[in-house]
Amino acid sequence: MKARIVARADVLKIVDRLRQDHEVVAPFCGRGRDTFFDTVTDENRDRIQIHLPNPYYPPKRYVIPHIEHLFEVRKTHSDLEIQPTYAAPKRALFGIRSCDVAGIWHLDRFYLGRDFRDIYYEKRRQNLFLVNVVCTDPARDIDDMCFCVCADTGPAARDHFDLQLMDLGEGEFMAVAGTPAGEAMFMEPIVRKATSAHVEKRRAILTEVRKHFKTTTSWFPATVRYVSQGNILDKTWEEIGNRCLECGGCTYVCPACTCFTVTDRRVGPNEIERVRIWDACALDGFTRMAGGHNPRKAVHDRRNRRFFRKLAHYFIQRELSVACMGCGRCAAVCHGDVGMPSVVEMIRRATAETDKLAPQNP
Amino acid sequence: MTGSVTDNIYLPKLAVLERVVDEIAEVKTFYWHFEDAEEQRKFKQFLPGQFAQVSLFGVGEFPASLPPSPTESETFFTVKQVGSCTAALHALKPGDQFAVRGPYGNGFPMEDYHGKNLVFVAGGIGLIPLRSCIIYALRHREKYQKIQVYYGAKSPKDLMYLPNLREWEQGAGVEFFLTVDRAGPEWPGHVGVVGSLFKKPGVQIPVDNTMAFVCGPPIMFRFVIKDLQALGFADGQIVSTLERYMKCGVGKCGHCCIGVAYVCVDGPVFTYEQIKKLGEDI
Repeated sequence: MKARIVARADVLKIVDRLRQDHEVVAPFCGRGRDTFFDTVTDENRDRIQIHLPNPYYPPKRYVIPHIEHLFEVRKTHSDLEIQPTYAAPKRALFGIRSCDVAGIWHLDRFYLGRDFRDIYYEKRRQNLFLVNVVCTDPARDIDDMCFCVCADTGPAARDHFDLQLMDLGEGEFMAVAGTPAGEAMFMEPIVRKATSAHVEKRRAILTEVRKHFKTTTSWFPATVRYVSQGNILDKTWEEIGNRCLECGGCTYVCPACTCFTVTDRRVGPNEIERVRIWDACALDGFTRMAGGHNPRKAVHDRRNRRFFRKLAHYFIQRELSVACMGCGRCAAVCHGDVGMPSVVEMIRRATAETDKLAPQNP
Repeated sequence: MTGSVTDNIYLPKLAVLERVVDEIAEVKTFYWHFEDAEEQRKFKQFLPGQFAQVSLFGVGEFPASLPPSPTESETFFTVKQVGSCTAALHALKPGDQFAVRGPYGNGFPMEDYHGKNLVFVAGGIGLIPLRSCIIYALRHREKYQKIQVYYGAKSPKDLMYLPNLREWEQGAGVEFFLTVDRAGPEWPGHVGVVGSLFKKPGVQIPVDNTMAFVCGPPIMFRFVIKDLQALGFADGQIVSTLERYMKCGVGKCGHCCIGVAYVCVDGPVFTYEQIKKLGEDI
């Protein structure tokens, strides 16, 4: 990858360039911790934030919307007519964090991999241009909950973006292209070649930034092993489950959660539409079948479902990608403090205890 | 099964209801075909044990077993009325339109069973998903050794697929054993749970070189597994088909996940050995 340099004052010109043929979505600050992705307009363009806490509402909604229309069914005379509804605007996500880039890559693996391709996802994804911004400002970019360093997705994404921007300080940004589409942005007069001093500076900044992550879940890979080998005691799962309030929040803010439910809605006297809506395995009715039988009764069954799904080696192998990006959102929104870092910690502690109790070899 | 880029895996195809046959209380068989002949031809390639997603527009979509064998000419579903979608299907009249997509799931690997004895144990409406496999095996009778069917229902009123039961009773290449949980004095046959048939005088279950297919309510399933294990069946010789409320049928929506498996793409047919390794209750 060839590195380029863009002056800080010119960074938003990339947004302007993209706006010529894309709907550009970028992060903004609300009040307090509130940050969000929104469509860039002439009016809000100057308020785009380069450094800010990652919005809780993840950008995955630009590839799989909260509510997605699948098709419409119209009744004409006595005949039914099914018409698929595709919406795939040409869109650029400016300022997406490295963890969320990895999240979208995971969704790619999930929705487009294996036997069945999801055409709704595919159409949106094909028209999506990703401008990754590396988290370099410990005060604003990095939350207490962030643990991308442990999930190996950040602070600088290695791949799967079209263009990556990194603040080198002193009014300079490093730009790296990940795709030919990103490379094409280098045609703009605003970029110039990077020197080896720039590359050295990038390395130094990343080394420094890594020291600022507070959530230590270096046990993450070990936890994958424990979960996959079935070495976690029911007691531990129950403890985790008992702290879940079944709000489903963790799945809604997760950049890698994929579950949805499908429902029909009446939209006219002779028209219905079928939509799919984000769903959460923590919710009571998730596995309930017609007639009321629910094979997953206890809350810890459901709670653990999510962690099992994310940490079991079987699924990692299946998608060739771990379903946790270390963004820390689940930890930030969970009222019961059973976000991923806590769960890893609880598993670590329980395992340490069992190790202590295990008979020693003579 | 790999879809091309233009395939929309969520788009059902229009179907027409031909006729409805009452089976037992709340259970009916719905004969149907796709409006498009090419769709019908493609769909007919299904394997015993696969399932389809049935759409009742405005109400929703539900997964339904495919009871017909692909060797039969007609396509149909046998559905118990349990929720809103099944109620909407039950309310349809011949000639009405609905929609279907599929077939989905792994199905029974019928060729792997060549040269083996097949023992089917069905409880109640558990006969629905097994019917396809039984009819298919009987159609390819020379490929298999002994074929036995054990079928238990609540009462004589709860026996379904009566024409098939009569055929099997007359010994069309199959040993058929029937029982009901409760019956009045007018019932000439066996009374008791389906597992009690195994101990009935004159019943000889082959164990070596045999596959046992078990489908029924959870409690029946647990007891029959125990009975079969006591007879000497290994877990790998016991096969079942699991049920979940799949919203997509193609491994995306997550609703049918049991432990490490998606019932819709990895199943619904599993051996008991596999079921035990799923890591979660079924």
